[in-house]
Amino acid sequence: MSRFADIYTTLFKISVAIMLQYRAVLVIWLIGLVLQPIIYLVVWLTVAEARGGQVGDFDKAGLAAYYIVLMIVNHATFDWHMYEMGYRVRTGAFSPLLLQPLHPIHRDIIENVAYKFITLSVMLPAILLLTWLFEPSFGAPIWAVAAFVPALLMAFLVRFFVEWSLALSAFWITDTSGLNQMYVIAALFLTGQMAPLSLMPQWVQSVAGVLPFRWMVAFPVELLLGRLSPEQVFDGFLMQALWLGAGLAVLALTWSRAARRYSAVGA
Amino acid sequence: MRILRLFFVFFRIGLMNELQYRANFFVQLLKTAFNITWSLAAVTVVFSHTSDLNGWQPAELVALLGVFVLMSGLIGVVIQPSMERLIEDVREGTLDFALTKPEEAQILVSIGQVRVWRLVDVVVGPIVIGAALYYMGRGIGLEIALQFGVTLLAGSVIMYSFWLMLSTIAFWFIRIENILIVFHSMFEAARWPITIYPGWLRTALTFLVPVAFAVTVPSEAIVGRLSEGFLYGAVALAAVMLVGSRWFWRLGVKQYSGASA
Amino acid sequence: MSDTSAIRLDDLSKTYRVPVREPGLAAALKSIVRRQHREVEAVKQISYEVAAGEIVGFLGPNGAGKTTALKMLSGLLNPTAGEVRVLGHEPFRRDRDFLRQITLVMGNRNQLVWDIPVSDSFERNRAIYRLPQEEFRRTVDGLAELLDLGDLLDKPVRNLSLGERMKCEIAAALLHRPKILFLDEPTIGLDVTMQRRLRRFIKEYNKRYEATVLLTSHYMADVEALCHRVVVIHHGQLLFDGNLSSLVERFSPHKTVALDLEQEGMDLSAYGEVVSTDGSRVTLLVRKEEAARITGQLLADLPVIDLTVEEPSIEEVIEQVFAQEVE
Repeated sequence: MSRFADIYTTLFKISVAIMLQYRAVLVIWLIGLVLQPIIYLVVWLTVAEARGGQVGDFDKAGLAAYYIVLMIVNHATFDWHMYEMGYRVRTGAFSPLLLQPLHPIHRDIIENVAYKFITLSVMLPAILLLTWLFEPSFGAPIWAVAAFVPALLMAFLVRFFVEWSLALSAFWITDTSGLNQMYVIAALFLTGQMAPLSLMPQWVQSVAGVLPFRWMVAFPVELLLGRLSPEQVFDGFLMQALWLGAGLAVLALTWSRAARRYSAVGA
Repeated sequence: MRILRLFFVFFRIGLMNELQYRANFFVQLLKTAFNITWSLAAVTVVFSHTSDLNGWQPAELVALLGVFVLMSGLIGVVIQPSMERLIEDVREGTLDFALTKPEEAQILVSIGQVRVWRLVDVVVGPIVIGAALYYMGRGIGLEIALQFGVTLLAGSVIMYSFWLMLSTIAFWFIRIENILIVFHSMFEAARWPITIYPGWLRTALTFLVPVAFAVTVPSEAIVGRLSEGFLYGAVALAAVMLVGSRWFWRLGVKQYSGASA
Repeated sequence: MSDTSAIRLDDLSKTYRVPVREPGLAAALKSIVRRQHREVEAVKQISYEVAAGEIVGFLGPNGAGKTTALKMLSGLLNPTAGEVRVLGHEPFRRDRDFLRQITLVMGNRNQLVWDIPVSDSFERNRAIYRLPQEEFRRTVDGLAELLDLGDLLDKPVRNLSLGERMKCEIAAALLHRPKILFLDEPTIGLDVTMQRRLRRFIKEYNKRYEATVLLTSHYMADVEALCHRVVVIHHGQLLFDGNLSSLVERFSPHKTVALDLEQEGMDLSAYGEVVSTDGSRVTLLVRKEEAARITGQLLADLPVIDLTVEEPSIEEVIEQVFAQEVE
């Protein structure tokens, strides 16, 4: 265990050092990070405007709060390795990773955490900027704020393992961009990015609740906004645990096959 | 004419190249289908709560979606791949090949790379527009068609000039690829009428990264709501940007030859 | 498996399936609908053994299957048929225990991180290979001394020259003191001094740690300096396995006879194949078994000032080997 601690701290420091070389890029990423939630926030504000300032169970300040928290949670839980996997397989960039006595997933987790650590520096100004521009109103009981932390951590893990397992399809399919796009679109609707789930048709809400999507993003968002009852939060943690288990199980089953497949097609 | 002939040659090469990867065709078809489906779904969700989005009716928004798909197809077929190639060529020093050919280098780099399958978007976009018009039960008169044609052409020219200027920055700053990401996130905003955005963002989307002229303005034309000001404005901006980008390109080439000599 | 063999290949084969494509637009369109495949046997039933501590040169022209074989040996590729054993492990299982004992260096690929100092990349490998601090320090010091790394370790990789980078690359690959080294063109693109330096290092490492080395290279100087034994493959098949000297004997039936004559412009084609004539200096190619007889004859018949008989260079022999088709 302490050996793993050494691997994680060492690689974390190095990942941070590498990423700090690309500081300018962080600013550029900031634009994308802020713009996407703004687009949908504005769309829904326009709708609310047309309906006298209220849409569903959201008023304008509520919508602003929703999208700001969504931006935080979405950023905290997202991972990009899914898009890199196809490239790694095609170019053979996976080879050196396979020849090291360490499962490649560890490096990806560390890289992700390092990236999040560094981007905190752009996240904070982004939050302030949006708060100033859209005047949100927050209000959540203390217990919800406390429960948000483990919920966010679980959401990150669920999303990471589900997406990493999905990314392994790159070992069988040459071009995964279609599959990735399909996933991104599904996530857009089902994680609450396009609209708060409560504004979606009932059947979409049900689908989002059965699949892992809701538990990857929407759940912690709604929790921090104080929109969930303690029972709902309990169920949420249960679903997160369930999907984390499922993700890990799929990964355990497919990883060795994927690696073998890689060796069959020609590293 | 010469440009068209050259374009056809490059197109043929691009086609042959891409035919090797047959899956790409189906992947592109799939992507376009997803793209349209989810946009329609988003429109549906929004209009399940309202009947009018800042003056736009559902069918009008679908028409805008068609223009968006068409324009992203036009950018995707030739502008973006050629410009990405240009940036890479500048970095690798392989731009020398284009500069030493007996043909205007700007033309060569502007159509040098063709991503054939993106034509799917160019075909599907107008179909969506047609469907939306049919649904609205509105035929289009000559005037509207003309306005649409002019604004679409102006929009394409503006997009081309914008991309050329953006890529030309590579002559001074090598690591420019990431700026392209900014364009993509800004372009996403054009899925919705620019008029819904707050003033500062609307200004940015009109003048800083002029996606408003690429999608919203032609869409306003096709639904018959274009103000004269925007019509002339689009044409004027297109002309200015075309000339400006040409000037900027030449400046860049001068810088390049100066540096590498 | 005998205790002394570190690497063993038994009828090792690898077959790829590749799409076939004809030129032209019509053919391209057709291939969209139906695609034809062809099987390519990259490696065909190769068998050999390498003893622990040996340095073996693995030779073959481009596309002969060297890299494919190296990848099977290091565990990146699955063999289609046959068996591989490296230190008693089946490489493609990639057991941690196996991975900790090998290293693969590819001259045209780098694993050092471009933007950070070399020592940080080393540090990363220390963590991944779980090397004890103490031992790691000693290894780094040892490698730094052997390769003369000096202050290179504190520089970001992007500021290093190709030769400097390659030295660091190799050091990074050896931090865990692997027992088996797979070196794929380690000297490619380096200048002659640097090549010589690396060669000396590989030899030294081999001696110091009794490491087994399997090396591919296009530079015969590498092979001559390092390997007593060479394994030659061509078109995926094993062509030769043995001493460098017997390779020359077996594949070159000729010797080179160089003469300095008193007279210019003499025609010597009756004695053997004239390779070059430069004024009074003539070079002849003669069959090996006739070399003695012909030199005697030349000395008897002609006004010879000086005469030398030489074996052809390894380079020439290899060229000859690769030129011939495999039956």
